[in-house]
Amino acid sequence: MKGINYFGKWIRDWYDIFVNELKLIFTDAGVLIIFFVGGLLYPVLYNLIYMNGMVDDMPVAVVDNSSGSYSRRYLQKVDATRECEILCYCSSLEEARDLMQRQKVHGIIYIPADFDKCLVRGEQGHISTYADMSSFLYYKCLTMGTSLTMLDEMHEIQTERYTASGLDGQSAYQQVQPVLSDEQIPYNRPFSYTIFFISAALLLVIQQTMFYGGSLLAGTLREQNRSFASMPSNLQGLGVGRVVLGRGAAYLAVYLVTGTLIALLIPRLFNLPQHAFWGDIMLLLVFYIIDCIFFTFTWSSLIWRRETVFVLFLSVSPICMFLTGFSWPTSAIPQFWQWVGYIFPSTFGCKAFINLNTAGCSLTDIAPELHAMTIQTVVYYLLAFISVFVENKVIEHKEKSALQNAL
Amino acid sequence: MMKTLWNVIRREILIIRKRPVYLLASVGVLFVNTVFYLSFFKDGLPHDLPIGVVDEDCSSTSRTFADQLDATQLGKVIYYDDLHLARADMQSGRIDAFVVLPKGFNADIQANRQPHIGYYVNSLYFVGGALAYKDILTMVNLTNGAVQREVLRAKGVNEREIMNRIQPIVLDQHQIGNPATNYGVYLNGVILPGVLEMIVILITIYAVGSELKYGTSRHLMRTTGGSIEMALLGKLFPYNIIFTLLGIGLELLLFHWLKYPLKGSLWWMCLNVLLLVSASEALGLFIIELFPVLRVAISVGAIISVLAFSLSGFSLPVEAMPSYVQGFSAIFPLRHYYLFHAQETIWGSGFAGWWQEVVHLLLFMFLPAVFMKRLEAAYVKQDYERD
Repeated sequence: MKGINYFGKWIRDWYDIFVNELKLIFTDAGVLIIFFVGGLLYPVLYNLIYMNGMVDDMPVAVVDNSSGSYSRRYLQKVDATRECEILCYCSSLEEARDLMQRQKVHGIIYIPADFDKCLVRGEQGHISTYADMSSFLYYKCLTMGTSLTMLDEMHEIQTERYTASGLDGQSAYQQVQPVLSDEQIPYNRPFSYTIFFISAALLLVIQQTMFYGGSLLAGTLREQNRSFASMPSNLQGLGVGRVVLGRGAAYLAVYLVTGTLIALLIPRLFNLPQHAFWGDIMLLLVFYIIDCIFFTFTWSSLIWRRETVFVLFLSVSPICMFLTGFSWPTSAIPQFWQWVGYIFPSTFGCKAFINLNTAGCSLTDIAPELHAMTIQTVVYYLLAFISVFVENKVIEHKEKSALQNAL
Repeated sequence: MMKTLWNVIRREILIIRKRPVYLLASVGVLFVNTVFYLSFFKDGLPHDLPIGVVDEDCSSTSRTFADQLDATQLGKVIYYDDLHLARADMQSGRIDAFVVLPKGFNADIQANRQPHIGYYVNSLYFVGGALAYKDILTMVNLTNGAVQREVLRAKGVNEREIMNRIQPIVLDQHQIGNPATNYGVYLNGVILPGVLEMIVILITIYAVGSELKYGTSRHLMRTTGGSIEMALLGKLFPYNIIFTLLGIGLELLLFHWLKYPLKGSLWWMCLNVLLLVSASEALGLFIIELFPVLRVAISVGAIISVLAFSLSGFSLPVEAMPSYVQGFSAIFPLRHYYLFHAQETIWGSGFAGWWQEVVHLLLFMFLPAVFMKRLEAAYVKQDYERD
């Protein structure tokens, strides 16, 4: 009988805290802005900014001192690539350099005077390229455009030379390319910025908006001396679990809505690849959101004033982004920072989402990330529990000493 | 007049001493970020990227291919028995790419039957995928060259002639401004000033807005005898010193101690960071004047300073963005810092190359004048909600 009473009371308390937390969230304009406007604005803005996602037909200047048939053919082929477009032919390197400095072109191709002569004689012809390194995408475009053309042109010249030495077409071809290759670049064929960046950024937005909004709310309550941690006192020191789980349920309810919009609707709206069954994505979301909730509860216990979360922790967002390993390869991240990465749910969540949603992995493939998030959830639940317990004791102590002082 | 100013400055120094958040959020945050980014990109260029090899041939030729791929600086080979395992590992990002060497690889080469090497790259992991792709492409071409060389040697062709045959065109690539293709130099040179911009915007808003939030703005106005200009000047003065020192310290760290490539002069880079700091301060002040409620202003400041990283155009260039986004890039001080930075570090162009950016950054200084009266009214009346 006692057990049933306890259980009933637990549920009633939990429900009260749940409703109370929802009220707090929905009556605070600042928190609402971050949860709903911020949570949906960022994905939309990033989609607009990275709409094209590629540098196409990057302007290139050419200095062709050779002006023979070989150099012309090479340059025509470069011009035809997706990556490069020849903006102008310059008479000297200085002129080309000047154009690059003024950002009119982002690469220079220099063909020396003896290029055609060397090739006609059957010797090696040299080409120099100069890349504007102010953005690595310029460098990538110039390298891809000129190297792939160089390979193509090389095969053509080799075939000519073998034919000249008496081999017929087919055997010349076999000589030039003794090994053929089949290239497969699934998931993101054109190395598009949009596909790789946004797939990863979507879940990061969930974690960061929840952390900032949750900390804002916790900071406000503490500023006004009505922290949620003072609640267990009314329950005779019990009920820390109810507080953590009741508040958590409120966040879960809110983020199941925004999370679904972010992870399912945004990719549809902007035609991003979505290769997973929606149920699988929802399952991942539930794991991830619960993890983020206890992460937020734990770390927001450091926030004692409303706005300090931004001035102290805003720069954590780009750091989290690098720690996920989708831009800078995980294998190149120093060991220490890999450990630091294990603190954040996003390190596992973003990776799982990219693999599941964009690369079309199965749930079994993302099981390691789900396991890691489960471990994080348990650890953060305990930490959140402890932090409420400690804060409650601190508040009690303060109240007692305040009472004594008053007496 | 100097005395009133000094009184405001002294008042502000007391606030900074009483509330550690100001120093923590400026010096502390920049320190943590500097340590993070400098150690994170300390390798400059990734090496030993995990690349899978499925060797179905197990001949000396296929083993040589795998060994040489492993010996490249970029790649580190992981062997797989089965194509499906390699595919699953690539799909979940554990390896960046993998190569399949088919059965009969060696025999087919010997018999001139042109075997196919298959390779698969995961380009969702951007830098890793792109570099692994480059590494494999190079290896495939070297293999072609090596086979030809064997054939030509057997025919008695001399070495010089062999090189002419297998590589008729040589490409000499030059990277202007970053010869080592060092990602650390490229990213840290813009990200760290971006973090500084974020710090300046947020702290300016926080310091000015706190007067409203904690209801101390009337006290401040009394100290200056009702002059808002004096109040803001004195209030921001101590932060100005902190930000300036941080900015110059950052430039010295990057270009003097760490020897990041710098064609031009360190003095001009210091000018650049000073302009960035002042423009960001003006932008922060403009935001809090426009929205004289601390929490709204700080949310707006947060959104702007995070977007600045993307819209500065140092990763995806601005001209590759949709045209209606391109114009917006001009409202971020970091964008102008980046253009100045590129001119000075890559070209050493001096005034002629970057004077336009200086004008842009100076234009930000006029921003606070626009809504100053609005802030003054809020300071005096305190008629906005506080939280």
